[in-house]
Amino acid sequence: MLMFIVRRLVSGVIMLGVITVVAFTLLYLDSANIARRILGQSATQELVERKTAELGLDRPLAAQYWDWLTSALAGDLGRSWFNGQLVSVSLSGRLSVSLSLVIGATILSAVIAVVLGVLAARRGGWVDAVVQFVAIIGFAIPGFLIALYLVLIFAINLGWFKATGYVPITTSFSGWVSSVTLPIIALSLAAIAAVSQQVRGSVLDAMSRDYVRTLRSRGLSSGSVVYKHVLRNAGGPALAVLALQFVGMLGGAVIVEQVFALPGMGQLTVTATAAGDIPVVMGLVLVFAVIVIIVNLLIDLAQAALNPKVRLS
Amino acid sequence: MFRWKATAATLAIAALALTGCAGAADSGNGDGSASGGTLTLGAIAEPTTFDPAGSEWGNRAPYYQAVYDTLLVATPEGTIEPWLATDWSYNEDNTVLTLTLRDDVTFTDGSALTADVVVTNLQRFKDGTSPDAGYFAGIDSFEAADDSTVVITLSAPDPAMLNYLTRDPGLIGAEASLDSPDLATTPVGSGPYMLDTAATVTGTSYVYTKNPDYWNPDVQHYDDLVINVLSDPTAALNAIKAGEANGVKLANNDNLVEVEASGWTVNANELDFQGLLLFDRAGEMNEALGDVRVRQALNYAFDRASLLTALQNDNGTVTTQVFPATSDAYDPELDEYYTYDPEKAKELLAEAGYADGLAIDSMSISVLGANTYTLVQQQLADVGVTITFEDVAIGNAIADMLAPKYPLVFMALEQNPDWQLIQFMIAPTAVFNPTGYEDPQVQEYIEQIQFGDEETQAAVAKELNRYIVEQAWFAPFYRVQGSVATDAQTTVEMLPTNAYPAIYDFQPKQ
Repeated sequence: MLMFIVRRLVSGVIMLGVITVVAFTLLYLDSANIARRILGQSATQELVERKTAELGLDRPLAAQYWDWLTSALAGDLGRSWFNGQLVSVSLSGRLSVSLSLVIGATILSAVIAVVLGVLAARRGGWVDAVVQFVAIIGFAIPGFLIALYLVLIFAINLGWFKATGYVPITTSFSGWVSSVTLPIIALSLAAIAAVSQQVRGSVLDAMSRDYVRTLRSRGLSSGSVVYKHVLRNAGGPALAVLALQFVGMLGGAVIVEQVFALPGMGQLTVTATAAGDIPVVMGLVLVFAVIVIIVNLLIDLAQAALNPKVRLS
Repeated sequence: MFRWKATAATLAIAALALTGCAGAADSGNGDGSASGGTLTLGAIAEPTTFDPAGSEWGNRAPYYQAVYDTLLVATPEGTIEPWLATDWSYNEDNTVLTLTLRDDVTFTDGSALTADVVVTNLQRFKDGTSPDAGYFAGIDSFEAADDSTVVITLSAPDPAMLNYLTRDPGLIGAEASLDSPDLATTPVGSGPYMLDTAATVTGTSYVYTKNPDYWNPDVQHYDDLVINVLSDPTAALNAIKAGEANGVKLANNDNLVEVEASGWTVNANELDFQGLLLFDRAGEMNEALGDVRVRQALNYAFDRASLLTALQNDNGTVTTQVFPATSDAYDPELDEYYTYDPEKAKELLAEAGYADGLAIDSMSISVLGANTYTLVQQQLADVGVTITFEDVAIGNAIADMLAPKYPLVFMALEQNPDWQLIQFMIAPTAVFNPTGYEDPQVQEYIEQIQFGDEETQAAVAKELNRYIVEQAWFAPFYRVQGSVATDAQTTVEMLPTNAYPAIYDFQPKQ
């Protein structure tokens, strides 16, 4: 087990190196106009050249990457070219917002999806039909539309939650709840749809297996069969889908973050990439890569815990 | 059955917890909108840096104005008034500007305002990388004559210099802070408010507290100031409807009806114009544009009133001149110099030898709206001009425009005061004259304005404006209404020369 973790960590580090080189190269290819983007329409050409030199954009790609890598290894991710903020500060601030949203949405969708999925698989009939229908709606309606309605009803008309902005949990817990609840709901719907379908399928599949018949024939109650045995087997694929949703939400929360004016990673990714803010984008790439590697590792461990067969392979 | 009860109980607890918490948060928000307490503003852009030498103005002005003072101040009436400088005078040939400073100003780090500090700031701005650093390109030297006198020596007269000192080039920071590595995020100025860096979330929300030792308490109408970045129009509208701000700059005029329905007031000015910039006046990229008749034909091709209705819901004024209504150069007649006359356009094109039509390449940017380009295309097609738009990524738009890659572009540009506008889009060195086009007549006017007295400047600016319109350097469509919405407790006076009002001009309603 330990070797397994070490192997995964080593391959994770190698992957990080490859990802940063690729990301840096892609950004570099589009770096010709960054100084102009920073300075805007009123700047003279001479000034644009001054800024280009100041940012070191006139040097070769390899030299720029080497500089970035050596300072990153020393813990210095540089400063944003657009707002002068330390990338590390900007990322840690944004990460807490995004993790609030994504972890909240993951937990919410996991709970609801498992309840819905099991319900649909066990009850069948009209319950199944309703759950299926709701899942399709969840897939079909874009998150931002749901976000807009949620704001309209619960923030503007009822005034229960904040319509815009983020309150850190350290500043005020109730303020934090008020600022993240609607975004979490908006973000969860698609994940609930995806995961509940997966749970339903896996549970149905597991219930038709021989071992379930065997357990039933030994007189175990159907509840105990489902919760002790079937879910354990169905959990693996559901976890995998949930992990995918988690990673997807981290970057895909852009629109929800935009509608609620939340300073999250998704929003930062879009603005920094479009602007060509290389230090910020590289910081984001690092953070995303590390999160993806960790999440995958955790999922593998969880799968192994759930199902001994995984450990053997 | 057990499952149902458990689920229902969980949901009920969750609902109670949520509404309970939300209720508490709501009462916490309440004091934000009370008059005199906190002024909460919405802006559409974040500041790039708090270093005065890298600062900008326009929509970013309030962030800087809160912490820093400018040497002079621009008023809603369109005049320039004393601020850190109490007095100013030019020598006879307008090349030496002498400023007298206030003697009662201290920065929030306790240091005093002196002529040396001002000179350091001005020099840093000239050498820095603010987009506006070019404003100081023609300055020979800054000197401190004594503790409270600053002398600015110009290589040639610059009629816009006083106006520049009301904006980013005139921002003055405390000397010690200028060497700090954290200057970009931790400003130290003498302004009415101080940035609370602990409560500020860069790029999202900027929190300021009142400067207790401010030299001009008359303009400190609030104890606290919060500026939230609401770049998304939907987020801005939601903040307005939910009452989460007192004043919000709107990115466009699409939601004015809803804003007013929420009990807010729309305060307006007209700063930007939209229309075609006919860069290729020499006909280097597209020979046809070198012929003034073709450029005039393009001007006759547009039904400006319909464009204004279709694209801006009538929030603006049609015009065919690029100078703003508040400037000396402005001539009301020139707002309708070119009428909508497709027949005349066709005649002019035929005279110029393009009876069979004409093809022009241009670029489009998604932020200016797909409709805009479709309508421009249609109107030009009606007179036999085929325009092909190539879509350009927003990040490259300005660079491509100024390369210049296209003979003409559709664009929204700020209408600055006269001399500034000339330097921005008419002079051969102007940023928005990327082909460097020169016309002897225009040069003569420019010189007369630069070296003339105020009366001459005003008169010649009018002549220059008319000439530019007749020569069809541009095909302006309309001036767009700039809108700042304020809630029922707040008033503001708009500036004629800036996109964002001065923070001093936001006040609790009496």
